[in-house]
Amino acid sequence: MKPKYEKKYKEPRATKRRRAANIAYLVTLTLAFETVGLSLIVFPRSTESITEKRTLKEFPEFTAEDYMSGKFTSDISEWFSDTVPFRDELTNMSTALRELRGFRQDGIRLHNVGTTPTESKPSTTAPVTTTKPIESEPDTDESEAATETAPTEETSVPEEQGNHEISAVEQEINEDDAVNITNNGIAVVGTRALMLYGGSFSVGESYAGVINKYKEALGEDVNVYSMIIPTSCEFYSPPSVAAYCGSELDNINHVIEYLRDDVKAVDVYTTLAAHTGEDIYLRTDHHWAALGAYYAAKEFAAAAGVPFSDISEYEQRVVHDYVGTMYGYSGDIVLKNNPEDFYYYVPKNVEYTTTYYNYILEDGDIVGAEEPYDSNFFIKYGHGNGMAYCTYMGGDAKIVKVSTNAGTGRKLAIFKDSYGNALPPFLMGSFDEIYVIDMRYFTHNAVDYLTENGITDVLFANNAFHAATASTVRYYENFLTQEDWGY
Amino acid sequence: MVFSDLFFLYIFIPAVMLCYALARCADKAYADNAKNSRFSMPKNICPFSNGVLIVFSLIFYAWGEPVYILLMLASVVMNYVVGLCIGGGEKRSKPALVIGIILNIAAIGVFKYADFLVGTLNFFGLPLNKPGIALPIGISFYTFQSMSYLIDVYRGDVKPQKNFASLLLYISMFPQLIAGPIVRYSTIAAEINRRHITFDDIAEGSFRFLIGLGKKVILANQLSEISSKFLDGDLASLTTGGAWLGILAYTFQIYFDFSGYSDMAIGMGRCLGFHFDENFNYPYISCTITEFWRRWHISLGSFFRDYVYIPLGGNRRHQMINIIIVWFLTGLWHGASWNFVAWGLYFGLIIVIEKYTILKVRDKIWPVLLHIYSLFLIIIGWVIFYFEDFTRLKDFIVIMFGGGKAGGWDLVTQNELFGNLWLLVAAVVCCIPIGKLIRNAYDKASRMDSAGAEAALTVMKTVSAVAILAVSTLLLIGSTTNPFLYLRF
Repeated sequence: MKPKYEKKYKEPRATKRRRAANIAYLVTLTLAFETVGLSLIVFPRSTESITEKRTLKEFPEFTAEDYMSGKFTSDISEWFSDTVPFRDELTNMSTALRELRGFRQDGIRLHNVGTTPTESKPSTTAPVTTTKPIESEPDTDESEAATETAPTEETSVPEEQGNHEISAVEQEINEDDAVNITNNGIAVVGTRALMLYGGSFSVGESYAGVINKYKEALGEDVNVYSMIIPTSCEFYSPPSVAAYCGSELDNINHVIEYLRDDVKAVDVYTTLAAHTGEDIYLRTDHHWAALGAYYAAKEFAAAAGVPFSDISEYEQRVVHDYVGTMYGYSGDIVLKNNPEDFYYYVPKNVEYTTTYYNYILEDGDIVGAEEPYDSNFFIKYGHGNGMAYCTYMGGDAKIVKVSTNAGTGRKLAIFKDSYGNALPPFLMGSFDEIYVIDMRYFTHNAVDYLTENGITDVLFANNAFHAATASTVRYYENFLTQEDWGY
Repeated sequence: MVFSDLFFLYIFIPAVMLCYALARCADKAYADNAKNSRFSMPKNICPFSNGVLIVFSLIFYAWGEPVYILLMLASVVMNYVVGLCIGGGEKRSKPALVIGIILNIAAIGVFKYADFLVGTLNFFGLPLNKPGIALPIGISFYTFQSMSYLIDVYRGDVKPQKNFASLLLYISMFPQLIAGPIVRYSTIAAEINRRHITFDDIAEGSFRFLIGLGKKVILANQLSEISSKFLDGDLASLTTGGAWLGILAYTFQIYFDFSGYSDMAIGMGRCLGFHFDENFNYPYISCTITEFWRRWHISLGSFFRDYVYIPLGGNRRHQMINIIIVWFLTGLWHGASWNFVAWGLYFGLIIVIEKYTILKVRDKIWPVLLHIYSLFLIIIGWVIFYFEDFTRLKDFIVIMFGGGKAGGWDLVTQNELFGNLWLLVAAVVCCIPIGKLIRNAYDKASRMDSAGAEAALTVMKTVSAVAILAVSTLLLIGSTTNPFLYLRF
């Protein structure tokens, strides 16, 4: 029996219709909600992010202490949103969405650029002194803080292409930890990402100081060179952006001023500046391109007085659709939408063998070393692989020895950051042996190691960011004083 | 747990809804059974759904406060007992009320203001150690709700709740537990034991929830990137333009953040069968500051009006003192720091001045001027609100008015402005009652005998709901959780 009051409604059809409309709305919404909700639960959870170059959060382990502090539950929430299925694809969409917030004036977008232009000019700040006692372990300073954003885990395996160059070398991401300290944000200008230089001018003096110490310790018979590699922001920043960039040139000259006369400064700044019309830097990555390294190596070979092969003596190879680190750093969709070609050059007329002395890392610290083994210098990456800069030796956490048939009687050691990784291919015809030593990973006493291996030439090849970072100096100081770790 | 979190959205809510739906069926069976029995109808015909709500509310609270949940429970027990005492007889009611209020204020005083008090005493030369107590989430909200309950019982507006679970449900109900609105007991007293949920409720509630989600995730979270960039950085290098852009972004952010939370709470409440009062009514369209405070955080303003201002004598006795007390407390409620007190008194002062000036001639002034006047004072208010450090506050105000060393404008400011221009435009649009206009059209159409208009509006509503859900979900993926601003208070 219907209650009486229902008869009072004047518009029963409208009421009915409204209910039908509500139901239609609710059914659609519920379907949408459940589709998303179930997808989040049913599909396998992501474990790593290629874009951000890190392993994602793991489901927290239960401890009473974590529970009581609320950490356990908040970790679950974080784990849930961090490890969403198809994470990278979805974050790409989300990045594209964020782009709709506004528009780019003159094609420029700034990311985390400080509200002030950095003063990388001479300052009254006392330089980091080199007389301070040095920590015994290399990885104890601010680099730890920086590795939060710096990738440390292996996150990608190159696409199998049936190519003979695929190597079993452990894949690592080049971590330029200090780049994350000294940068002043990122500017995307057109389709090119520029990491803005914010180096500390005062470090230059101690950087020169530590190189001088190597020369002192190694004596007259060993040539020591300093090559500070400028980065792309120095050449490609329009004036408006340049205002937020320190001057790398000033800093490089500042270092040179403090170098001993018998340390040879390799001026790659002028060289690179002359070739800015060519692709000497990667657009989507914070590194330079192989072509830039070629010109720099040429300049170095001239300074060292060794033979140098023209680029025509190399076979050019390419990884298409490359989107480098700057996409992950800036989250700028323009970079994602404008991939580039990653070229590298393999020597055709040189015979060489590459020996790897890989370190085993735990949380970015060296905890051991693998048995040395021979493998390829170049590692083949498939098209679209964002790790392609690891083509050179697969990364940084290792010493690599390249033995060649150059027959010049010269042996080179390169102390470098990841920029330096691109240099050895162009010097294989110039030196009988090349030892590639990363500034962050080295377990021997530098002087002993260089002497034992009969090194005739030592090259410090760091980019301008690292040359202006205090931790770089500490690492190199440490190599001089540390005892051999035994592996 | 916060509302704008994938885990909450896609695990917690479905779990609640599923269990709640089952419990509603059980309630119905229980009520039907009771109807057919020869005993009188039980007072509480929602025992199962109430049980489900309590369990999930406790899980919700414990998710963020595994320890302080005991404090919350203790507070409910205390208020339950005091409530019964107040209702127990005229002789006992006043002392019981006094004890109850003191205990509630003591709880909030110890857990929220101890450090502040000690810090202030230190300033005056009393060397005491700060106890360093962490602020329990939502304590400002649930103690205020408890006090409103006690006072309403004392005044005889409501009967004391004899069922502990029902009172626990009122205090702990997860939609409004940790960041408001401050729901009066009288508002939902009837619905605790007897509520009906229609399709209309669920449709309206879910839509309201999504509007809130969108306000938080699509607007507030994005705006926070702008505001923190300019407000948290080095002030020495902040330009005048940057200062204004930053505080403007914060002005929008805090509104969308807080009103978004209220929308989500009201929406969820509605889906569960509760009708909470509105907490915001487009505050930024106000012509005067007096009006602003009738539109902003309404549940807090009315709390202070009904439980502090009027009992103190309101307009009748020493009104100035009453106003100062109310605004001092309003400021202090927002945070244990003197800048919040300054912020409260700032508005108190403006409201007093308005009373004797603008309000008398309001109709004669061009409304645009009034809007500009109000917005300007509101924005300055947010500056005071934002900077807990008075030195930074002073520096920032100097920069706002052109006294900074970094000049008026720079590339970073320009880049942020244009890079977020559409977001800012959207923020402006969402501050005006655009939704209300659409809603009116919708209501009109549903009353009209026009199936086409109804269908079109339904499609529009459905599409926008799904779009908000999809966009918010995308934006939440991988983002670090941005907790709601009002969780601090």
